[in-house]
Amino acid sequence: MKRKNNSLIEYIILGVLGTLVALTLVVPQLFRDRRPPRLLSLSVLLRDTDNSGWSAARQGMEQAADELGAELRFLTLTLQNDSREQEELLTRELDGGADALVVVPADPEALYAALLRQQTPCPVVTLESPMEGSAGLAAPDNALLGQKLAQALLEDWDGGTVVLLDTAGGCSGVTARLEAAQETLEAAGVPVQRTDKLPGGGSRWVMAFDRAATQQAGEEKEAEGFAFALYGVGATAAVTAQLERGTIAALAAWSDYAAGYLAVRQAVETAQGEGRLLEPLSFSIVRGEDIYAPENQKLLFPVTS
Amino acid sequence: MTFFRGLTAQWRERYRKMSIQLVLSLSFTAVAAAGILLIGVSLIWRFSSASEQMVAENSQRVLALANMNLDSYLRRMMRIADTVYYRVIKDTDLAEGSLTGPLNLLYEENRDDLVSLAVFDSRGVPVSAVPLASLKEQADPAGSDWFQAASRSMENLHFSTPHVQNIFDDPNSPYRWVVSLSHHVQLTRDGVTEGGVVLVDMSFSGIEQVCRGVTLGEGGYLYLIDGDGELIYHPRQQLIYAGLLEENNRAAAGYRDGSHMELFQGQHRQVTVKTVGYTGWKLVGVAPASYWLTASPQLFLFGLSLLLFSIFLMAFLNFRISARIADPIRRLEQSIKALEGGQEDVEIEEGGCYEIQHLSRSVRSMVSTMRHLMDDIIRQEGQKRRGELEVLQSQINPHFLYNTLDSVIWMVEAEQRAEAIQMVTSLARFFRISLSKGKSVIPLSDELDHARHYMNIQQIRFKNRFTTRIEARPGTEELYTLKLIVQPILENAIYHGMASAEDDGLIQVTAWREEDSLVIDVADNGLGMRPEVAAALLDEDRPEVRTSGSGIGLRNVHRRIRLTFGPEYGLTIFSEPDEGTLVRIRLPALTREEADRRQQGEVL
Repeated sequence: MKRKNNSLIEYIILGVLGTLVALTLVVPQLFRDRRPPRLLSLSVLLRDTDNSGWSAARQGMEQAADELGAELRFLTLTLQNDSREQEELLTRELDGGADALVVVPADPEALYAALLRQQTPCPVVTLESPMEGSAGLAAPDNALLGQKLAQALLEDWDGGTVVLLDTAGGCSGVTARLEAAQETLEAAGVPVQRTDKLPGGGSRWVMAFDRAATQQAGEEKEAEGFAFALYGVGATAAVTAQLERGTIAALAAWSDYAAGYLAVRQAVETAQGEGRLLEPLSFSIVRGEDIYAPENQKLLFPVTS
Repeated sequence: MTFFRGLTAQWRERYRKMSIQLVLSLSFTAVAAAGILLIGVSLIWRFSSASEQMVAENSQRVLALANMNLDSYLRRMMRIADTVYYRVIKDTDLAEGSLTGPLNLLYEENRDDLVSLAVFDSRGVPVSAVPLASLKEQADPAGSDWFQAASRSMENLHFSTPHVQNIFDDPNSPYRWVVSLSHHVQLTRDGVTEGGVVLVDMSFSGIEQVCRGVTLGEGGYLYLIDGDGELIYHPRQQLIYAGLLEENNRAAAGYRDGSHMELFQGQHRQVTVKTVGYTGWKLVGVAPASYWLTASPQLFLFGLSLLLFSIFLMAFLNFRISARIADPIRRLEQSIKALEGGQEDVEIEEGGCYEIQHLSRSVRSMVSTMRHLMDDIIRQEGQKRRGELEVLQSQINPHFLYNTLDSVIWMVEAEQRAEAIQMVTSLARFFRISLSKGKSVIPLSDELDHARHYMNIQQIRFKNRFTTRIEARPGTEELYTLKLIVQPILENAIYHGMASAEDDGLIQVTAWREEDSLVIDVADNGLGMRPEVAAALLDEDRPEVRTSGSGIGLRNVHRRIRLTFGPEYGLTIFSEPDEGTLVRIRLPALTREEADRRQQGEVL
């Protein structure tokens, strides 16, 4: 009887294992999901009126989106640094079902307040300025950047007031650069003047702390024939050309490509519940004569065909 | 070491206790499982090495194709440089004509691949350039790597690493990445030749187009480096430039053409290298090992299930096969065990394969032989016992016959005819019962009659110095007893107990049944003896001294009973000096059937 039971158990186990073998062949075929994986929808909100200054960052974002399976929507403002419009765009994008946002905040505090009003939590990664409640900041250390740029100016400084262009509005990242530069200059005994408009030809030293202000100051300098030494930030083609032409004395530059790539990667990973801590980006102070050094070429000029 | 020894000893101990079926099953299953695993591992190894080989061949094929395309592209660029030199510069005296027109034509014809075409004199001054003619203020062509490479090695064409084109003044500031092809040329000016350099700035997109479309399986890619390992093209070049990604390009520069395995950032990958002719550039194809080594979870599950199924199937079959082999052996073993246990009607089955059948037959034959031998031994033992009994019985008769005949002689001489007749009559009855047709087991009544006749004889001999009472209590009527067991005890009672009796001697024989035993007590009121003397009477080690009433009769009776019925039966003597002696005979309560069976020697 016992032997008969054992035989029965053996046959049952044999049958179960045989069925398992068959199932492992058949089941994956039956239940295989043939649909392509859903692309994550990411919206990129800039604080500028056009995105030409963010072309390298955009390339980086597109590379990350391509690798990680996301689609991007780039949105610009009708007015520079219009935080109200940016809030409206944010609300609209979230209502439209965006899975994550990459934002260059015009006013981080106002944006955070707008984000808090939303029903559905959505990861937001910022560029340039930090924002409370964000999933990360893809930017260099703004205070350090302002400090190093001021040190570059101090190397050239031989007297006179340094004009600090305060064009940030509510953009805390830009403000942090400016304040760090101001602090460094004042510590060195250099007189400074904060203003939101470019001074006339009387100034000898001007510092700008965002890419648009740097480009605008350079263009005005070239157009008006001002003789001040300009120190700015950014690595757009126009700013780089000004640096090459000598319009800009020194430029604090970082890889916008890397910033864009990291921002999108962080946004996608956070949306998927796998976000990580973003380290501040490295940056360089580049002078006109060093612009074609191999490392600076890689930093300033995105590889485009 | 000790642990392994202990383990081995434990295993041996277990092995000794295992059944043959288990040993066969486990051995076969272990061997089969090892075989399956070995085959599986071999197959996986063979599959992975074949896959690796296939991937390597595929990479080499793809790289050969990419190399062909790249080579074709570079040759086209070289032909442009040659055309500029041999068809334009050689045909033009710079004092008389300009190179711009022909260069422009060439540029327009190849504008998709070219960024600029230019000819510089030996000082780096532009002779002609298209599409942009003016240099940047700070441009220094003569200080550029491409210019110096061309000036150093005049015979060769030189390809630079990718760099930003930085000498021509472009109002749109596009900052385009190019690969510069430079070649030293001889310029003619006013009939005089001088050195110069032709610059062909190749659009980076041309190289990118050649390399971008190349795929090397899942996760695989292709990149291009120069002889020093400097990146020329990489699908994620900008990430590398931004410091977000690293590539093993410096190591790849040291690889020979062919496929190599490398470990980079913890990832095993196959790297296939193909040198691009003339330039010394290297096309590097990367295929992660996970591409061909990592099985999908479904495949892994399938493999695991198949492995389990195979092992269990083998185990199942092995159990069945080993059972077919072991079952007849087990049945044979059980038969032998039953034989060992004393069971007689054991059937030894002849089953299983030839060897087992042969063994069964041998065992059966052996058992049969053994049984015959046993029967012989038993028969011989019975005969021996019977012989011993007969000898013991024969020891009784001469004593008694001698004494009785002596008494008859004495009475005849004394003319006591009545007593002599009575004695002879009793003697005749006595002997008739003694013979009992050769039976050794007789009815208890016969045995008591036998005792009564004996006592009649002895009372005459001893002139009624003692009285005899013989009593058989109820329940003993149908019982049987071994014959001639009471008389020797009576004889001892007379010679020991009644030696000093006047006429008050009493010998009493009482038979009764006690459960399954028949007890016959022979008691006298004679002299008695010390208990140790009484105990010594039945001692087998005591030397036999043939005197009248030496106790040999008692010992003979005791030995006969024990030989016949076993050690739990026999005599017990109770005696005290001046009190008398009681000899108790204990026998099994035999019925007629049992007595007949014993008589026929069945028990023996």
